[in-house]
Amino acid sequence: MTVLRFLIRRMVSAVPVLFVVSLVTFALIAIVPGDVTAELAGAEATAEQRAVLRDQLGLNQPLYQQALRWYGNLLQGDLGHSYLLNMSVTDAVLERLPVTLSLAGLALVLAVVLGVLLGVLAAIRHDSWVDQGTMSVALIGLSVPDFWLGLIMISVFSVGLAWFPTGGYVPFSEDALGWARSMALPALALAFTQMGVIARMTRSSMLEVMGQDYIRTARAKGMRRHTVVFKHALRNALVPVITVIGVMTGVLLGGAVVIESVFSLPGVGRLIIGAIQRRDFPIIQGGLLITASLFVFVNILVDLAYGWFDPRVRNDR
Amino acid sequence: MPKISLWRMLMATGAALFIGLSASATDAQSMGGDLIVAQASNPPSLDAMVTTSQMSRNITMNIYETLYGFSDSIVPIPILATGVEISEDGLTYRFPLRAGVKFHNGKEMGAEDVRASLERYKAIGGTASMLAGVTSIEASGPLEVTLTMEKPFPGFLEAFASPRAPAVIIPAEEAAKPANEIEVIGTGPYKFVEYVPDSHVRLERFADYAADETHADIDGFGGKKTAYLDSVTFRVIPEPGAAVAALEAGEVQLLEQIPVPTARRLAGNSEMKVYENTPWAFLVFIFNLNEAPADNPKFREAVQIALNSEEIMAIATEGLFNLYHGWMYEGTTYDAGEIGKDRYNIADLDRARALLAEAGYSGQPFTILTDTQGPERNKAAVVIAEQLRAIGVNVVINQVDWPTALQIRLQDTGWSAWTLTMGIEPYLGPEALISTFTGPATHFRKADPELDALYAELVETADLAARKAVFARIQQRLDSFAPVIKLGETGLMQASSAKLEGFRPFRFPRVYNVWFAD
Repeated sequence: MTVLRFLIRRMVSAVPVLFVVSLVTFALIAIVPGDVTAELAGAEATAEQRAVLRDQLGLNQPLYQQALRWYGNLLQGDLGHSYLLNMSVTDAVLERLPVTLSLAGLALVLAVVLGVLLGVLAAIRHDSWVDQGTMSVALIGLSVPDFWLGLIMISVFSVGLAWFPTGGYVPFSEDALGWARSMALPALALAFTQMGVIARMTRSSMLEVMGQDYIRTARAKGMRRHTVVFKHALRNALVPVITVIGVMTGVLLGGAVVIESVFSLPGVGRLIIGAIQRRDFPIIQGGLLITASLFVFVNILVDLAYGWFDPRVRNDR
Repeated sequence: MPKISLWRMLMATGAALFIGLSASATDAQSMGGDLIVAQASNPPSLDAMVTTSQMSRNITMNIYETLYGFSDSIVPIPILATGVEISEDGLTYRFPLRAGVKFHNGKEMGAEDVRASLERYKAIGGTASMLAGVTSIEASGPLEVTLTMEKPFPGFLEAFASPRAPAVIIPAEEAAKPANEIEVIGTGPYKFVEYVPDSHVRLERFADYAADETHADIDGFGGKKTAYLDSVTFRVIPEPGAAVAALEAGEVQLLEQIPVPTARRLAGNSEMKVYENTPWAFLVFIFNLNEAPADNPKFREAVQIALNSEEIMAIATEGLFNLYHGWMYEGTTYDAGEIGKDRYNIADLDRARALLAEAGYSGQPFTILTDTQGPERNKAAVVIAEQLRAIGVNVVINQVDWPTALQIRLQDTGWSAWTLTMGIEPYLGPEALISTFTGPATHFRKADPELDALYAELVETADLAARKAVFARIQQRLDSFAPVIKLGETGLMQASSAKLEGFRPFRFPRVYNVWFAD
């Protein structure tokens, strides 16, 4: 019951957040020069030709009118229609969401599993060569740009060894193996950087927890090292790591655009970046709102997860 | 007595001569296979009439056809028409249509479809101005359309054949729909299957395609087209390195454009074919005549004399360029020879400094507008800036994204010069090119009455020799008044799998008349 109340409270408090996001997007769109008529009419179009197009698209209306119309439609569940894609914004985003969710989900799983393992390993073998080795790997992950890693992976695993395709997306529903093959390299390239962050975070958090009195007590009671590390230490050490994972999920959902470009994946990131480049305002507006909603939703899940990892948080609610 | 165009007779003779050749060539060509072509970005639209985008043209010109189009030698030839009869007074154009041409939905093309398509073009076409002088479009028979002009327009057929935003023929039912809301239905050798933005556009062979049997082979946008491939997929691969990797891995068989250094690397690979598509475009430097310091002709002359075009082009194009001063390609019909050579690629800094002093230049900022999308354009801007700083010009570079650049360049102030690549206009000929430099919407923001008068004279002149003479005067004016500087000519490198046969570089990748070797 408490959880349900918490969920409802958080959902309600998300509404003003999303409202502000959409308002800021509107303001930014208004500030940025140029509009979609540049793309529609071409470089040689005259100011008059573009003005006619602008009229047809309603871009000449005052900003508040455009905003009111957009919010009015939003209340009816309509995010608008793309100027360039000949489809509704909802369809355009939903079409790409499986790609982005696959990429972000796989990258997140890889980053968390590898990152936490490396972090724990480094912490329990503190100041040894294992610590230095794993932290070096983490540092490389943090330092290597993901697009470069992606291109190197394509060169080695796709062109050289022909194990994976160079790019493109295969829907899971069509071919599960094809989906896994098309996602393996981009997810790994994306996960590598995030893995570095998680590994370093886990290590420092683990070291802090391992020095606490209750760990010493647990050891003094004669508990097995394995139990001490994974049951007592790691569960507590993961609380700050979860915060990082929450933020990271947001980044992965909206910001995997570079990897999406390198591997030619038709994801939400590329959709929004393409819309910004071509000033397809409805896509920018709707796409960002959906991405922000996902971000808020993931953070609600993260807050719920705190409760699972740390009973004190649960009681505070 | 109506005139019958000469080209038709020439075409018929050419066809007769090549018939033997084509029969033997066809034997070597095999049907089937799936071609995957990579291009860098999405087509903004597949409604060919309304977009001037090259990315759209790459795909749509394999799906749709026009009544007239350009041949390889850039002469208008009939494609869906069988010819044209132009009345003596130049006011009526009667286009008989090819019989038995089918749309991809199975319907047979008739005069009503053509009429409706051209009416739609007149209302929303990307270059609708080409039909501005047409007062009526009439289906004058089941397979005949007649256009009536307000006044004679000698260059009409050239304008009408333009592929810039082609006046394609679509079914009348579709022609009633607004821009970008049509079903993609044409008469071309490939039919549209699906478009997944940021992923691909898929086409399939149109089994009922009615090839133009008056030709032996393809010719420019027309000719006898044969779809050998079962399907063609245009994949959108934005990252050039990934596109080349896809070609090397065999996932893609044709790259619409590859970086020049990559082309050099692939040239030694026996599994690849590399194509040089030159000349492709003019790289130009356009002044804003509305604002100091570029409003001063002496200042512009100083810039003209200072520029080292060879250096600019070499860096901007990574080595794939041609230096030529003319405002039409060398050796083409309207090439005005030596005119303007004395002010091209001079790089005389002392003379430029003297001209700058003569201009009374006192260090006002000279803002070069350029964009992030075209590496040729922004690299050229950087080199030009360095060369002009060397003679004492206070250069500021304003590099913005493409829509912003297009917005700023439509303003009368806030920029001094702009780097632009002009691909289709010089290809189309003098009228298409010079029209962008004249009238109230000129690229320079302030029309030059002398240039406007010369352009009007060109449009109204019918005789070829007289037209050439007018163009030579236009070239003279462009060089002496210098509202725009031609920096040089760029090219395009393309690559394919060695197994792909028959591909010939052109203004768009023609995926018909290409096949896979067994």
